[in-house]
Amino acid sequence: MEIYVLVKQVPDPEAIVKVKSDLELEIENKYFTSFFDEIAVEAGLKLKEKFGGRVTVLTVDNRRVDALRRGISMGADDAVQIADAALEGSDQFAIARTLSAYLKDKPFDLILTGRQAMDDDAGIVGPAVAECLGIPHVHSIIGFEVDDQKREAKVIREVENGRETLTCPLPALLTCQKGLNKPRIPLVMNVMKAMKAQIKKIDLASLGLGQSDMSPYIKIEKYVPPPKRPPVKMIKEDFPENVRVLVKLLREEAKVI
Amino acid sequence: MALDFSFTEEHEFFRQTVRDAVNRLIMPRVKELDEKEEFPWDLWKEFAGLGYLGLRHKETYGGMETDTITQMIFYEELARGSCGFAMSAIMQVLMGTYFIARFGNEEIKQRILAPAIKGEKIGTICFTEDQSGSDLGGTRTLASKVEGGWRINGRKQWVTNGPIASFATIMATVDPKLGLKGLNFYLVEKKTENQDGFTVGQRLHKLGSRCSVTGELVLDNVFIPDENFLGEEIGKGVQYAGEILNEVRVMTGMNALAISKESMVDARQYANNRIAFGKPISTYQLIREKFAKYWAWYEASRTFLYRCAWMIQSNIPCTNECMLAKYHSTEMCMYAVEEAMRIYGGNAFCSEYPVQRFWRDAKFLLYGGGTHEVLCDYLGRIYCKD
Ligand SMILES: Cc1cc2nc3c(=O)[nH]c(=O)nc-3n(C[C@H](O)[C@H](O)[C@H](O)COP(=O)(O)OP(=O)(O)OC[C@H]3O[C@@H](n4cnc5c(N)ncnc54)[C@H](O)[C@@H]3O)c2cc1C
Ligand SMILES: Cc1cc2nc3c(=O)[nH]c(=O)nc-3n(C[C@H](O)[C@H](O)[C@H](O)COP(=O)(O)OP(=O)(O)OC[C@H]3O[C@@H](n4cnc5c(N)ncnc54)[C@H](O)[C@@H]3O)c2cc1C
Repeated sequence: MEIYVLVKQVPDPEAIVKVKSDLELEIENKYFTSFFDEIAVEAGLKLKEKFGGRVTVLTVDNRRVDALRRGISMGADDAVQIADAALEGSDQFAIARTLSAYLKDKPFDLILTGRQAMDDDAGIVGPAVAECLGIPHVHSIIGFEVDDQKREAKVIREVENGRETLTCPLPALLTCQKGLNKPRIPLVMNVMKAMKAQIKKIDLASLGLGQSDMSPYIKIEKYVPPPKRPPVKMIKEDFPENVRVLVKLLREEAKVI
Repeated sequence: MALDFSFTEEHEFFRQTVRDAVNRLIMPRVKELDEKEEFPWDLWKEFAGLGYLGLRHKETYGGMETDTITQMIFYEELARGSCGFAMSAIMQVLMGTYFIARFGNEEIKQRILAPAIKGEKIGTICFTEDQSGSDLGGTRTLASKVEGGWRINGRKQWVTNGPIASFATIMATVDPKLGLKGLNFYLVEKKTENQDGFTVGQRLHKLGSRCSVTGELVLDNVFIPDENFLGEEIGKGVQYAGEILNEVRVMTGMNALAISKESMVDARQYANNRIAFGKPISTYQLIREKFAKYWAWYEASRTFLYRCAWMIQSNIPCTNECMLAKYHSTEMCMYAVEEAMRIYGGNAFCSEYPVQRFWRDAKFLLYGGGTHEVLCDYLGRIYCKD
C-alpha cells in the first residue's frame, strides 16, 4: 500500500507563547509533532506492516521538519517538506491546495492525518485535501480495517452515545482521533537515522503553483492573550458569616452555583 | 564565528525524542519507583528495547557510537525522570561496560557487551570498599596470579546494580603495598547462582535514587581466566579509570541540571499558587531571590557542562574543567533542592509532594566522580601553584 501521512510540527505544550502584536505570535523555539498526527503515522506503519508498501510523511513548513524526522524515527520510509516563500502567511486552505497539488499524481491508496493540529485546532487541512483531490474522507476515526482486495476501508467513529461503523472505497483520506492506537516510541537506531536523514524539499513552482494560488480565505484579525488570573479574594469574616459570603460570591460574582 | 553554543537541529531532535520516551515510560511512575525501592524489570526491558543502552558503543555490538554531546543530552533527559533508573541505565551505558569494550577480547564482547547493550545482562563497576572510597590506594581486594588466570578475594561496597548484576568490572590490587600502582580491572561474571564464590552481600536501603538497587558484592576466591584481565599492562588501572573520569563528571553534572530544574520548576509553580499574607509567596523578595540565584547558577552550570562535553568530544584536554564543572553544577543542584524544600514550607516534609524526593535523589551526586572536598583540595592546590 502507498500511504501518505500529513504531519505538522506544533509548539511543545511547554513552549512559551506570547502575543507579540495583533497579527503575530512569539513562540519559544520548542516544537514537536502534533499528537494526532503521530497517531496517523502509527496507523500508516501498522498497515505497512500488514500489507507491505511505503509510508511517506509530508509537511508544509518553511522552517521546521521536526514532524518529518519524528515520522522517520517511527519507521516512515520517506519524508517530504514543501517550503516556499509564497507560503508565508497562508491559511489552511492554501496548505491543503499545496498538499493536494503534490499528492494528485501520486499512486496513493490512503492518506492519513490527525483530526486537528494541536496548535490551531482548526481540523481543516485533512478534509480540504480530500475535497481538492475528490476522494472520500472520514473524520476523527478511532478504529479501522482495510480490505486490500475489495479496495475498501471499514472505519469506526465515535459519535454521541456510541459508535458508528462506515465503509468507504479507497483511495480515501482518514483523519485520526485519540484511541485509534498508541503511537510507538521510536527505537534509538531509527532516531539516529532520522537525525541524519536528508529531507526532500519541494517548492511551489515544481507543483505548478504560485503566489496567486496562496491567497487566503481566512485572515487573522487579531490575537488576544487569555485574560490574566483575577486577584485572589480573601474572605475576612469569621465562621459562619464567611460561608454566607462565599455562597453569595459564588452565586453572584463567579456565577457557578 | 568560532564561539557557537547552539545545539544542532539533530541534537534538539534527539533531546525531544528522549524527553518524549521519558515522559511516556517513566514520568507516570516516578513516585511508585521511589516508594517500591525495587529494580523495575518491566521498565528496564521496555526501555532497553528502544536501544539507548548502546549509545556509546560500536555498531558491531548493537551500539550507536554517538557523539559525546548526544550522550550528555541523554543523561540529562533521563535523570529528569527517575534518578534511580537513570543511575542503573547510565551504569550500563558508561562505567559498567567501558572497560569491557576497551579491553575485552572479541569473544567477551560478543558474550557480554552485545547482550548488555540489549539490556539482557546487567553490569556494574566496583571500586569502593569499606576502607577505600575516595582513597583508591586503600583498595584491599586482592588479585593473585595463578595458572591460566587470576583468583580474586575481597568485598566491594556501594555497588550500583550490584544485587542484580550478571557481570562486574572489579578494581583489585596485585599487592596492597603498591597503593595506586598495584590496581587493575578484572571482569567477573556470574554464570550461575552462587557460582565460584561470587555472591551478593548486603543490600543497602538508600536515602534516594531508590529504584536502582545497590549493595555489596563478595568475591571469595573467585577464579577468572587470563582474558578477563581488563588492561594492557599490570598496574595501569588508575590510568585507565582516568579515561572516562571526565565523562563521568560531566554526566554527574547533567544529572544535577535535570534534578535541579525539575525541583525548581515545581517549586515555582508552588510559589505562584501558595498564598501567605494575602499574596502568592513568589511576590516576596526573599523567595524571588532564591529563583534568581538558582537561575543564574543553573545557566552558568549548563553552559560550562556542555562546553566540557564539547571539549571531551573534540579531544581537548579538560580534566580540570570537568572537575570544576562537576563541583559547580552539583553545588548548584544542592542549593536548588534545599531552597525548594524551604519554599514548600511544612509541606516539604511529607511524601505527598515531590520536593522531598528531589532533595533525597540529588544527594548521591555529591559522592560519585569525586567528593567535593577531594576535588576542591586538588583544584585549590593546583590553582595556588601558579
Ligand atoms: C548512590 C551511590 C551509588 C554508588 N555506586 C557505586 C558503584 O557503583 N561503584 C562504586 O565503586 N562505588 C559506588 N559508590 C560509592 C562512591 O563512589 C563513594 O561513596 C565515593 O567514592 C566516596 O567514598 P566514601 O563514600 O568511601 O567516602 P570517603 O572517601 O570515606 O569520604 C568521607 C569524607 O571524607 C572526605 N575526604 C576523603 N578524603 C579526603 C581528603 N584527602 N581531603 C579532604 N577530605 C577528604 C570526603 O570528601 C568525605 O567528606 C556509590 C555511592 C552512592 C552514594
Ligand atoms: C514535622 C512538622 C510538624 C508540624 N506540626 C505542627 C503542629 O503540631 N501544629 C501546627 O499547627 N502546625 C504544625 N506544623 C506546621 C508548621 O507550623 C508550618 O509548616 C509552618 O508554620 C510554616 O507554614 P507553612 O508550612 O504553611 O509555610 P508557608 O507559610 O506557606 O511558607 C511557604 C514559604 O513561603 C515563605 N514565606 C511566607 N511568608 C513570607 C513572607 N512574608 N516573606 C517571605 N517569605 C515568606 C516561607 O518562609 C516559606 O519559605 C508542622 C510542620 C512540620 C513540618
